[in-house]
Amino acid sequence: MSDATIDRKRLAIAVLALVAGGAAVWVGSALLVDVTAGWRVPVILVGIALALIGLDRALTALLRRRIQIALVLSVAWLVAIVAAAALADFLPLSESLRPDQTLDVPARLRPDLFSAHPLGTDNQGLDILGGVIYGARVSLIVGCGAVLIGALIGGLGGIIAGFKRGRTESVLLFLADLLLAFPPLILLLAMVAVLEPSVRNVTLGLAVLSVPIYLRLARATTLAVAKREYVLAARVLGARNRRLVVSEIVPNVLPVVIAYSFVLVAVLIVAEASLSYLGLSIKRPNPTWGNMIAAGQESFNRHPHLVFGPGIILFLTVFALNRVGEAASSKWSRRRR
Amino acid sequence: MIRRGAIKVVRMIAIVLLVTLGTTLLLELVPGDVASSVLGEGATAEQYEALREELRLDQSIPSRYGDWLGGAVTGDFGKSIVPPVTEVGSLISARLPVTIEIAVLAMLLSLFAAIPLAMWTAYRAGGAGDKLVSGFAFGAISVPSFLSALLVIFFVIFHPGATKALIAAVGVMVVASIVVGWIKADRRPHSRRAWARSAAAAVAVVVLTVLVVWQFPAFPRQGFVRITEGGLASNLRSAFLPALTLALLEASVYLRVLRADLITTLDEDFVLSAEAKGLPAWRVMARHALRPSSLSLVTVAGVGFARLLGGTIIVEAVFNVRGMGDLIVNAIQTKDYPVVQAGVAVLAVVFVVMNALVDVTYTYLDPRIRARHV
Repeated sequence: MSDATIDRKRLAIAVLALVAGGAAVWVGSALLVDVTAGWRVPVILVGIALALIGLDRALTALLRRRIQIALVLSVAWLVAIVAAAALADFLPLSESLRPDQTLDVPARLRPDLFSAHPLGTDNQGLDILGGVIYGARVSLIVGCGAVLIGALIGGLGGIIAGFKRGRTESVLLFLADLLLAFPPLILLLAMVAVLEPSVRNVTLGLAVLSVPIYLRLARATTLAVAKREYVLAARVLGARNRRLVVSEIVPNVLPVVIAYSFVLVAVLIVAEASLSYLGLSIKRPNPTWGNMIAAGQESFNRHPHLVFGPGIILFLTVFALNRVGEAASSKWSRRRR
Repeated sequence: MIRRGAIKVVRMIAIVLLVTLGTTLLLELVPGDVASSVLGEGATAEQYEALREELRLDQSIPSRYGDWLGGAVTGDFGKSIVPPVTEVGSLISARLPVTIEIAVLAMLLSLFAAIPLAMWTAYRAGGAGDKLVSGFAFGAISVPSFLSALLVIFFVIFHPGATKALIAAVGVMVVASIVVGWIKADRRPHSRRAWARSAAAAVAVVVLTVLVVWQFPAFPRQGFVRITEGGLASNLRSAFLPALTLALLEASVYLRVLRADLITTLDEDFVLSAEAKGLPAWRVMARHALRPSSLSLVTVAGVGFARLLGGTIIVEAVFNVRGMGDLIVNAIQTKDYPVVQAGVAVLAVVFVVMNALVDVTYTYLDPRIRARHV
């Protein structure tokens, strides 16, 4: 590709792909209404993939540098879902919480992006988009809350272990290994077996899972950082331990911990969704992505949107978190090396 | 070496003991009085006392744990407290093989898919095929297993026509890429044996695709058939979809790990010298590059057993398979604490032992690690 002129041929192909992909999505969602969903869904998926590739290529050709379209879209998605979850009470959503308010709404309406029910309605006529947004609130609170608690306790413990070494380190590591010795989902199941499934308890359960992971991560990073010359230099200059930890170790461990947090939030959101799918977490009337999918699976042969509506939102959120986490860790861990 | 092994064994036993102690302490976490929360209202005082006795609630924690451990070592986990009252030990010995079969099958499927794909994508890193496969793997990692189970059910069971078309399309694409390879290779000198090999590969793909599409098996939507009940064929048919669901995620993880390691290895000098000797690409990949690249795969696959145990619990619920996960989830819902305790303890111990085994294997596989400890 030359520097001065835009490569017209590439651009034309890219725009063609974008248009073809968009057409496939439109045909799949609007025209093939009578065709079974087994054929419609692949057409739509191929269309989306084609449109994304086209968009990527077109932007590359136009801006003459590679932009990571998936990363940009992931950030946009995360911002959108956080904003929607935070502002759920103020959005003009149809009734999605109280089944006694939806007696006159037809049940299992098909998704129609330009109606009052963009993602359709469920078995009780409740709006799926509204449920998904209120469900996002639960997922995000539980996932981020657990990661915050886990990062605080585990991160602190890991820094102490990596900095003090010796007996403290052995004890902390053994405790972490003990928690990691349980298969994670089974530990979670055991905890919800005896505790009432509320947002608080599920968050605490997930936090228990994340503490040992953070402890090991923070310890390993602290070990690497503590060996560096600038720490030695600070020590030679007469810095005490507390100052070393606060102004040398923590600022260098923090980026690694934050980068990993995105991926861990994704893992914990999946764990919470799995629990509520199994009926062991937060239950109706509070919608969560997991319990909406569980409720929809009875009739999802004829009404796939009951499962795939919340399912796609869940997938996109987890995907976006993974993508952003990957970008963050490749950016920050390179600097560390 | 021996000293190190002994430390590992002692450590493993300590972890097993503490993990099982942890499951005993579960009952302490139950808010309120355990016996009355299990029995509900309207229970007689005799029932209440009998249940407290059964759960050993009147004993101190150390003696309760001692009793439980003593029984557990001989396979006696007590009786379930929710009717029908059965020996927990017999419940577990009926359920555990099912879960292990699905987990092992998933592990085999994912290794079988991931290793060749990783070799191919690493060899053609940055190409269209690599982008497609790597993108798919990154996406598959973001799909929770209950969702991919429902996707598998949706396509394979509800819409087998679309699934067959998809399989046929993939087969056609693979054959087409082999043919394109021929056309391109025509411009370069090539041996008769290389010809024969790629022709055989093309024929094999065609035969396989036709066979799968033509003889597409009718998978059951739910349930599990034991070998002793319905023979091997229907056993495998009932275990296949749950295993496939788990393998989608598992294979993607392996693929990403192995591909990254292979790409690093392919930069090394010994690979260059193997290529310079004129060895064919597949031989360089399989004989020279794969082995030094497979160490993190072994680690990840070993830890993968944990993911599989967890994942099996989910797919058992979706496919209605009566394995350990189904047992534990039902026991949690009916507050059948002895079953929960025993089930969690058994899975945790299986997990700890598996991890220890992986640790040992790893030490033997990597001469560098071995050398460090001699």
